[in-house]
Amino acid sequence: MDRDLLRQCVTYHGESLFNKLKCEQTENPDFQALVSDLCKASYESTLVEQFIARKADILFCPSWKTTAVKEEEHDEEEAAEPYAVMPPLELFMEVSYDERRAMLYRDLERGDIVVGRINNIREYGFFLTLLSTAGGLKRDIEDLDLSALCHIREIPSTGSHDDPLSYYQIGDFIRAGVKDIDRYQEKITVSLHQASVSRSLEHIKLGVIAREELPVHYSRSLSAASDSTETYEPILRRCHGYHNPSVVDYLLERVGISDTHPPSLMRGLQSKLFQEDDFASAIRKKQSTSWALKCVRAGVDHFKHGRHVEAMNEYNKALEIDTNNVEALVARGALYANKGSIMKAISDFELALESSPDHRNAKKYLCQTLVERGKQLEEQEKLVTAEGLYRRALSLDDTNPEAQDALHKITDTIQGAFSEKQKLHFVIFFSIKND
Amino acid sequence: MEGPSSRLSEARDGAVQPAGGRDASGEVESDSSRDVKTHFRVCRFIMETGVKLGMRSVPVATACVLYHRFFERVNISSYEPYLVAMSCVYLAGKVEEQHIRTRDIINVSHRYFNSGSAPLECDKEFWDLRDSVVQCELLILRQLNFHVSFEHPHKYLLHYLLSVKSLVNRHAWSRTPVAETSWALLRDCYHGAMCIRHAPQHIAIATLYLALNSYGVELPVGEKEWWQVLCEDVTRADIDAVISDLLQLYDMEAKCI
Repeated sequence: MDRDLLRQCVTYHGESLFNKLKCEQTENPDFQALVSDLCKASYESTLVEQFIARKADILFCPSWKTTAVKEEEHDEEEAAEPYAVMPPLELFMEVSYDERRAMLYRDLERGDIVVGRINNIREYGFFLTLLSTAGGLKRDIEDLDLSALCHIREIPSTGSHDDPLSYYQIGDFIRAGVKDIDRYQEKITVSLHQASVSRSLEHIKLGVIAREELPVHYSRSLSAASDSTETYEPILRRCHGYHNPSVVDYLLERVGISDTHPPSLMRGLQSKLFQEDDFASAIRKKQSTSWALKCVRAGVDHFKHGRHVEAMNEYNKALEIDTNNVEALVARGALYANKGSIMKAISDFELALESSPDHRNAKKYLCQTLVERGKQLEEQEKLVTAEGLYRRALSLDDTNPEAQDALHKITDTIQGAFSEKQKLHFVIFFSIKND
Repeated sequence: MEGPSSRLSEARDGAVQPAGGRDASGEVESDSSRDVKTHFRVCRFIMETGVKLGMRSVPVATACVLYHRFFERVNISSYEPYLVAMSCVYLAGKVEEQHIRTRDIINVSHRYFNSGSAPLECDKEFWDLRDSVVQCELLILRQLNFHVSFEHPHKYLLHYLLSVKSLVNRHAWSRTPVAETSWALLRDCYHGAMCIRHAPQHIAIATLYLALNSYGVELPVGEKEWWQVLCEDVTRADIDAVISDLLQLYDMEAKCI
């Protein structure tokens, strides 16, 4: 009995066949000799079946496909290829002529791009001998004797020439879009209109191309075919793109797999089991806030004991650990205000309020500081600006008596500074401004 | 090696069991099978930590390989395996150019062993832990003779996927998650020492083979098999061996975790 063939069959069908064989072939000494070998084979296929059965809920889950596949980009034209573009695999596998022809007719679609050489020109169009696919599919087709017709209607007019066909010669390399495939009659028609190409391949120009513009996988397959020692792996290693340090990341994106929420068949590593709070960035943020608060508390203690320099150092340290930490900003702002650096104080309070608009102390201190600033501006005769600050201060803390007082006084001052006539003008101006 | 790291593993049951202990089923285990389970758990720790740190697949693989190679010739009872694992993560980040801060490694590990706890304060315990991780890194480097750069199956698998994809009808391919499955299988290999016992091309081919098999994808047949073409020296037996080792890892998950 053919051991290998039998092994293949048992592996394919599994234990049920093996058991049946054992029953039926008990008298056969050849079979008995192979039983232990076959036992292993059926066991292996049982193992795989068991694996598939156990993990079926993950394997066949619709959300298993994590990201949509990026549409194929025609990056092969770039000088530096981001990954190794390999000749089509069926070349190395030596798949039969008939099979490859059948595969092509099965898989070629409207909108794909093919490359061919003109072998015949008639008055109604030209014929191409297809050399290679160039977008949509990647196949080895030169020896399949495929011919495609490009009808004269499918050639864009070149302006000055009356006959668009005169622009083309036998032997020209042409890149064209597939317009129609008749699978039964095995006829392919192509077009040179850019609109005939599918959307993802739109940017590829159709028409005459130079030998250098032939697809990379095609030229590589030519050199591989001519030299039988050129097998897959040596070619792979020789490709410049293989040694791109970011090739893994690039190809993962191409293939559509996420590396940040990676797939796994282990029960314990399923993405839904991971919680946001356990991730490094979340813990770090919480930790930074905590460390910063410790510094702020130390700083406040220094401040209460009059050690202003040490207090400022602690606040700055806190802000280094946790930028825009609210408590640190408010504490530092208060220290600035205390020292008389009004503008710096205002800036810190404003920043604190950006992330925590309802922070009580921030609002209270900013209100007080704005009133002080307003008073400074009043002395510089910048009455209107000062008034704006008082209004803002009151909006932050409407119970602040100083702010209320200051606002009333300045409104009076502004009004009193003008004569009757000017007052009228000013009132109009003021009401327009307030609209 | 003891020290601050012991506080990490205190809360984790079964991390380091006394000699001749009994496993969940009450049977007496041999030392080596207990060790295998420990290594499995620690590698699981590495993989989970890797996800939480945002590490890419290749650095995580390097971390696991460093770990397995370290314990190839070293007795597990002499070293705290989880500390070694943390240092492997740190070292792998450097080797694969995805630098990970020790602070993040410590934070994630601490929370792994003390679920739901508050982050560590910036105190002596924290700094001691950090020192341990950095010192252990030097130990690992010396144990491995500074040979820390490895060839991984990942690059091979991705190129193989592209090549095989071209053989198949595009709609059939987009319906079938072969890429995700083979990537998942590859990542899962690192739970066990099998990742260092087989050649990277063989592992890549075997995971792709198993993925195709799981969905019943049929590839065209030529004079040569697709897997024979991708790697000349691989045999059916090699593929079966890798798959067998990998399936055993899935069985082990049920027993260990």
